[in-house]
Amino acid sequence: MAAYLASVWGCRYFWLSLVRMDLRNRYRGSMLGIGWSLAHPLAATLVICAVYYRLLQADVTEFVPFLLAGLACWNYLVGVTLSGCQCFLQAEPYIRQHALPLAIYPLRTMLGSTVHLCLALLVVLALTAVLRGLPNPAVLLILVPTIALLMLFGWSVGVLAGFVNTVFRDTHHLLEVSFQILFYLSAVIYPKELLYQNDLGWLAAGNPLVAFQSLIRDPVLHGSLPNGSDIVLAFAVVGVMTAAAIAVVRYGSKHLIHYL
Amino acid sequence: MAAVFLENVHLTFRVRQQYQITLKEYLLRGMFRASRNPIREIHALRDVGLRLRAGDRFGIIGGNGAGKSTLLKLLAGIYAPTRGTRRVVGRISSLFELSLGFEMEASGRQNILYRGYLQGETPRSMRKKLDEIAEFSELGEFLDTPVRYYSAGMLVRLAFSIATAIEPEILLVDEVLSAGDLSFQEKARKRMREMMSKAQILVVVSHDLDSLRRICDRGIWLDHGQVRAEGPIDQVITAYTSHVEHRRAA
Repeated sequence: MAAYLASVWGCRYFWLSLVRMDLRNRYRGSMLGIGWSLAHPLAATLVICAVYYRLLQADVTEFVPFLLAGLACWNYLVGVTLSGCQCFLQAEPYIRQHALPLAIYPLRTMLGSTVHLCLALLVVLALTAVLRGLPNPAVLLILVPTIALLMLFGWSVGVLAGFVNTVFRDTHHLLEVSFQILFYLSAVIYPKELLYQNDLGWLAAGNPLVAFQSLIRDPVLHGSLPNGSDIVLAFAVVGVMTAAAIAVVRYGSKHLIHYL
Repeated sequence: MAAVFLENVHLTFRVRQQYQITLKEYLLRGMFRASRNPIREIHALRDVGLRLRAGDRFGIIGGNGAGKSTLLKLLAGIYAPTRGTRRVVGRISSLFELSLGFEMEASGRQNILYRGYLQGETPRSMRKKLDEIAEFSELGEFLDTPVRYYSAGMLVRLAFSIATAIEPEILLVDEVLSAGDLSFQEKARKRMREMMSKAQILVVVSHDLDSLRRICDRGIWLDHGQVRAEGPIDQVITAYTSHVEHRRAA
């Protein structure tokens, strides 16, 4: 494994240049440039706030940062998974010519999504500071390991989604539909406490997508360290996904090219 | 010192007859009826053995579909052997399908960097090579234009200029013995010769038997994935051509 990671590091100039190119190509010639990646969660927040804050009887100064933090995390999780689906298909010309470690291609998509996550989190922090003040700035340091954990999760999910989608091309579409459903079940636009209050706590209790959001929301919005059970669940899921990704890379690297 | 060893290498492709398997077909196969899209096994390479050491100039010949390019890709590590052993000491550089892998929205200059990094270069080494590659390609101010505006010939020129700017230990070449228009070809041949002479081990696949005779000292003739002849390149080429002539006469 160490040798494999060393080989990934060995071709860092290549995958870093691909990440830079992806970001440049995505916003080439557009008016807002990378600002478009922020426009999406901001527009979604505006629309959802306009409708839901009355339904949920929430205070706008509380609800906007809550929603934006949730959307920042959600968009990252959806982004790494769906772009991960395409990572090997997109890299086919490279894979057919050079025997580089395959894990660099999901790494490429994950790093692109991470740039957007970090930008979105900066907006969350700025808006929270303006609207209600940051309750405990020192606790925000926990966001650094949280982002690292999300990156590992994103890399692992990218590997898995990429391999499965290369073999079964329906995977991307299935995941898109699944995320659509999960969006409403994963307490993105409402507090997870609502689920517990309405005997739907099981939807939140074992849902890693809820746990990941809590890892970001708790320090930013409440100035507290994330809940222990959320941390355990997030680590457990990342651990399982990472182990699965390592196994898939070990076994699947030899065979992937036959499915391209 | 660079070295390449293949021992009793087999490579089998398991391909679907019509299209890729769908998730539905994978989950339901055999439950209600036999698949209309069964797996077919293609033995691309059978029991191939090779021992190459520093200084070797090795040619691979054979008809279309004989497994030449597949063997080269196996040597490059792109395909893993289904059975047998592949051992390589040294850094492999490969010249396969030159025009593949361009980033069409990026400029020629940016593509020089991407492909340089893909070949194992660093920003420092590319700084030294960038101007030399740009000059060799003769693309001038087009290098600052996205490559999607390039003609096929310009793409090949650029690809060739980048691909041949490396200093390889083990060089694998698949039919890339010339590139571009007439004026560029002579320059390209010279550059190719220079690069080949720098490589510790050279493996070339080509249908141009005269070029192989000039470049290589040893070789193999592959037929349906099997080694039909191995040894000094002259003997291997003679065995291959007499076989082809014999078949033509029959």
